[in-house]
Amino acid sequence: MYTEPGLETEHLSLSIQDVPLLKNISFTLPRGQVLGILGPNGAGKTTLLKQLAGETTRNASLSGAVYWQEDNVRQIPLQEKARRIAFVNQLNDSVFALTLFQVVRMGLLPHQPLFAMPVKDDDRKVLAALQRVGLKEKSRQTFSTLSGGEQQRGLIARAMLQRASLLLLDEPVNHLDVFYQHDILGLLRTLSQEQNLTAVMSLHDLNLAAAYCDQLLILDDGSLQAFGAPREILSESLLERVFGLPCLVRHEEHGTRVDFCPSPISAPQPGGPE
Amino acid sequence: MSVPVPIRWALLLTVALISPVIATLFGSAGLSPETVLQCLAGQCPGATEDLIFYDIRLPRVLGALLAGGGLAIAGATLQNVTRNGLADPYLFGVVAGAGLGAAIVSVLPDYGLLPDGVSLPVAAFIGAWLSVLMVQGLAMSSWARTPEQLLLAGIAMSLMLGAATHMVLYIGEPFAANKVMFWLMGSLARIEQTHLWQIAIPLSIAVMVLWLVGRRFDAMMLGDRAASSLGVHAARMRLLGLMICATLTAVIVAHCGGIGFVGLMIPHIVRQWFGVTTRAVIVGSLLLGGLFLVWADVLARTLVSDQELPIGIITSAIGSVFFLLMMRQRA
Repeated sequence: MYTEPGLETEHLSLSIQDVPLLKNISFTLPRGQVLGILGPNGAGKTTLLKQLAGETTRNASLSGAVYWQEDNVRQIPLQEKARRIAFVNQLNDSVFALTLFQVVRMGLLPHQPLFAMPVKDDDRKVLAALQRVGLKEKSRQTFSTLSGGEQQRGLIARAMLQRASLLLLDEPVNHLDVFYQHDILGLLRTLSQEQNLTAVMSLHDLNLAAAYCDQLLILDDGSLQAFGAPREILSESLLERVFGLPCLVRHEEHGTRVDFCPSPISAPQPGGPE
Repeated sequence: MSVPVPIRWALLLTVALISPVIATLFGSAGLSPETVLQCLAGQCPGATEDLIFYDIRLPRVLGALLAGGGLAIAGATLQNVTRNGLADPYLFGVVAGAGLGAAIVSVLPDYGLLPDGVSLPVAAFIGAWLSVLMVQGLAMSSWARTPEQLLLAGIAMSLMLGAATHMVLYIGEPFAANKVMFWLMGSLARIEQTHLWQIAIPLSIAVMVLWLVGRRFDAMMLGDRAASSLGVHAARMRLLGLMICATLTAVIVAHCGGIGFVGLMIPHIVRQWFGVTTRAVIVGSLLLGGLFLVWADVLARTLVSDQELPIGIITSAIGSVFFLLMMRQRA
């Protein structure tokens, strides 16, 4: 069966001043899938995302390559790259009080020539994207005064205007309450299904990752520990090795559950006495 | 009660258009409103009034309008590309560079290469431009890449050029030192009609370019990484902004000397009244900056009878109080 070319990394390694941050990472993700990158703090999740975006890192020695739809991301011209790959960083902050509308409108930039006149249609597109993420009423509000969840949804609306086929998100549900965690990940899931969008994001919550991602990539100390569907790769031995904590993994009919047990395991053993 | 933004624009535009006409009334030789209206209609009542209105008062008022607008735009542009609301062309050594150029030419013997009165502005322009190139050179090097480092490099450069200027003046003749010091205090008294074009042309080009790349400059406000992820070449945009800032400041400083704080104060007010997008800030700064300097120059002409105050003293006095109030607001 033919699958559309997606995201591919080939022996990606990166070190800064002889300290290795990523070690020989190779994986292939078909287009239209959602990938969650998991791992303890300092495992290299954000570094990997930046490399997937083709960002340059100062004083870094790099080997290997990242391909998006068969093009080396480092060789795609900047503006074209912004039309194909959108990167939602951890919250953007501006010294000047930009409104949500103005921040989201920047998503049109990759499709505009250098000297672009304002077009009435731009406003309509921005408002449609804001409506899609449920923020149309707040369009005139100063971006920095929005809640964390609203800012994330605003940045996703901006990424939608970029019309990129690959969306990279650095900890999109960090600092969000349970409602917004599901809200954001549900939105990404829907966009992925409706628009054949590929989304790659770093996450901390294994249960959220297992619930919303098609594939998971487990990183530890810059090395790829496992890559595959949650049901296939999540195991107690792997997670205990990576996170240093005993845990229980249950693969159930409607999904996978992971429970970490910091003290000696007190939860009932599978198949144990009732 | 908050005034709607379109009404604020209409008010600013109206005041900016009327003020220059009213400002022509003030000066050591007073002109009556009737005379000004007659002169505007091309029917000055006498040759003296004609001379005062067309050769002295009008060029000066128009010069204030252009210089104020230009300095405010230079400041706004610098603040955008360095992401620092406290950035000012003066912090980039532009005026210090112009001062050094002026000092050097003042102590050199007159070789007669340039007509009288031209060599000082030309030297000031070259000095201002060279100082920006040096700061830009530092910015391209590996140790001043962030906007904060760029600002610190500008301040260091400014101090270095100031020291060089003092050295040149110290070893030069006392008369030259006086001349340079007076020039550095800023004045619109030397503005002639031909100078107006020299400011108006780069200013028009700057406004046009900044208007067209406005949305890209907006993306720069979110930082270089965010701008790059939106397809904006942050380093190139910053270079463009710096070049515009340098050219505007250099050409204005060359003709008017040091006029401080306009570039810091005006964009700040404009952002509060009209929003922070580049297009709004550029147009607002052009109008409000011009308006501010027109009235600052009226004060310079009228505050002390029979004598003219350097305008730089007035703008710096107002600006420094504004700066302190701004700091208090942020604290």
